[in-house]
Amino acid sequence: MKHLGVEPAHAGAGALVRLFHVSKSYLAGTWALRDVSLELGKGEFVFLTGPSGAGKTTLMRMIFADEQPSEGQIIVLGRNVSRLSPSAVPALRRRIGVVFQDFKLLSRRTVEENVGLALDVVGTPARERRARVFAMLKRVGLQHRRYHHPLSLSGGEQQRLAIARALVNDPEVLLADEPTGNLDPDLTLEIMDLIADAAARGTAVFVATHDHGLIERYGRRVVRLEGGELAEDTPIRRPLL
Amino acid sequence: MSPRWLSRPRYFLRTAWSGLRESPVTGGISVVTIALCLLLVGSFALLVANMERILDRFGEEFRVSAYLEDNLTDADLARLRERVAAAPGVERVDLVTKEAALERFRASHIGRAALLDGMEDNPLPASLELVLAPEHRNADALERLAEAVDGFPGIAEFGYGADWVSGYHGAVALVRGVAMAIGAVLVLATLLIVTNTIRLAVYARRDEVSILRLVGGSRTFIAIPYLLEGAAQGLVGGLVGLALLFALFHLALPVFAGSLELLLGYVSPSFLEPRACAGLVAVGAGLGVLGSAAALGQGRLGE
Ligand SMILES: Nc1ncnc2c1ncn2[C@@H]1O[C@H](COP(=O)(O)OP(=O)(O)OP(=O)(O)O)[C@@H](O)[C@H]1O
Ligand SMILES: [Mg+2]
Repeated sequence: MKHLGVEPAHAGAGALVRLFHVSKSYLAGTWALRDVSLELGKGEFVFLTGPSGAGKTTLMRMIFADEQPSEGQIIVLGRNVSRLSPSAVPALRRRIGVVFQDFKLLSRRTVEENVGLALDVVGTPARERRARVFAMLKRVGLQHRRYHHPLSLSGGEQQRLAIARALVNDPEVLLADEPTGNLDPDLTLEIMDLIADAAARGTAVFVATHDHGLIERYGRRVVRLEGGELAEDTPIRRPLL
Repeated sequence: MSPRWLSRPRYFLRTAWSGLRESPVTGGISVVTIALCLLLVGSFALLVANMERILDRFGEEFRVSAYLEDNLTDADLARLRERVAAAPGVERVDLVTKEAALERFRASHIGRAALLDGMEDNPLPASLELVLAPEHRNADALERLAEAVDGFPGIAEFGYGADWVSGYHGAVALVRGVAMAIGAVLVLATLLIVTNTIRLAVYARRDEVSILRLVGGSRTFIAIPYLLEGAAQGLVGGLVGLALLFALFHLALPVFAGSLELLLGYVSPSFLEPRACAGLVAVGAGLGVLGSAAALGQGRLGE
């Protein structure tokens, strides 16, 4: 059942995210990521797992051009990330939804404004923006909190807000770094269903998690990192729930 | 890269507004700095404008007299008048007859008219008074005119008693130059202060800026609210500066009115024209926008 090494799930041309022998070193002599190659196709839902410090966040940050690989190439949505000019980075990021491990919410803006931000940067017309933000807040169960500020929300509510912002613009790629770490089991399933739903509509999804129960339950492809190296890439075990 | 975000002015206005409310201290410093700068620059403008106004008033009455020989025939006079009218810079030629000259003398020397009583003949010559076109009311043009007219037969003497006009002209030019130099230094100093102040505000919000970048905000998208903030601060600073200038002008005027009247005669100082006022406020807004742009440029929002 387990496959070691690279096992592309999709043909190269169809992949939305491709890593070729990517290494990352923050400090000379140490590798946060070492020779990782993998591909992520349209509508694919992949769990990214591994112990703390294994390089999960690093991998995601390189995909949305927040860090550059030290070696190797990363192609995201047809763009070579390491050759991207600074002015082209925002346009790429607008096509990628990111749920940050530490949420990265704007504390001085309301829940509604935080979610709307993902549409503001794209320039979605005001009416459509309002409708989409409202629908999204409803889906994550925060509509009654829309005029509150993030710091007045519980940890789980902040997490759902971060997910709402990442999904509101129907991104082509979703990178979710521990998106359910602060949620109770019921909410976890609701949020995971939301993410699975995005994948079903064609979004390529990366979910970093330590939650083995979750991985078991969903039975999707699992990419496991250990000490920065690709330790496991197991293809989908079960079809959609 | 179509600027679709331009269709979202509300986002920018709302963001700029909350930015202003979040950093009232830095905003206040910018406003006060710009207001003080414009108060000083406005004072200079007021001084120069009023000096120029005096020049205009006297310039209008600035005439050059060509004193005529006594024995001219009417035909000579008509010919001379034509030639003088064609000389460079002459706008109009008026004839002052001997009688008219005497009248004028009497009128301006009331009480001392007896001076002339002992004379049998009218000793005053007739003259042609040349009214100069406004752009020729200066020393150079006068000299050129004198050279041109001097050799004309029938003209005994050529007088332009208003030497002070060209002197004053020079003084105004000097004051204007000095005022502009000081004004430029003031504006630059203000720009520096405003830039550093806004940089503090940008620094205080660096987390926010980094999040905007992470969710795909372009450089322009992030910059626009700050530029609007700067424009608003500059606009308020400009209006406050203008109001202060207006208040000071009207408070100070009565105090100096007496001596000014002695000095300037009937020319009473007036406030800046509406266009100059608008210009002053625009300079304030420009300072705010430029300060923001400079602060953002140093903050490297881009990559
Ligand atoms: N900005 C950085 N500067 C230096 N070292 C870093 C930086 N970011 C990450 N690292 C190092 O890179 C390695 C991988 O970190 P990363 O955050 O990718 O791990 P992770 O798998 O996301 O861990 P966790 O499950 O705890 O979130 C770690 O050893 C970490 O110390
Ligand atoms: Mg991490």
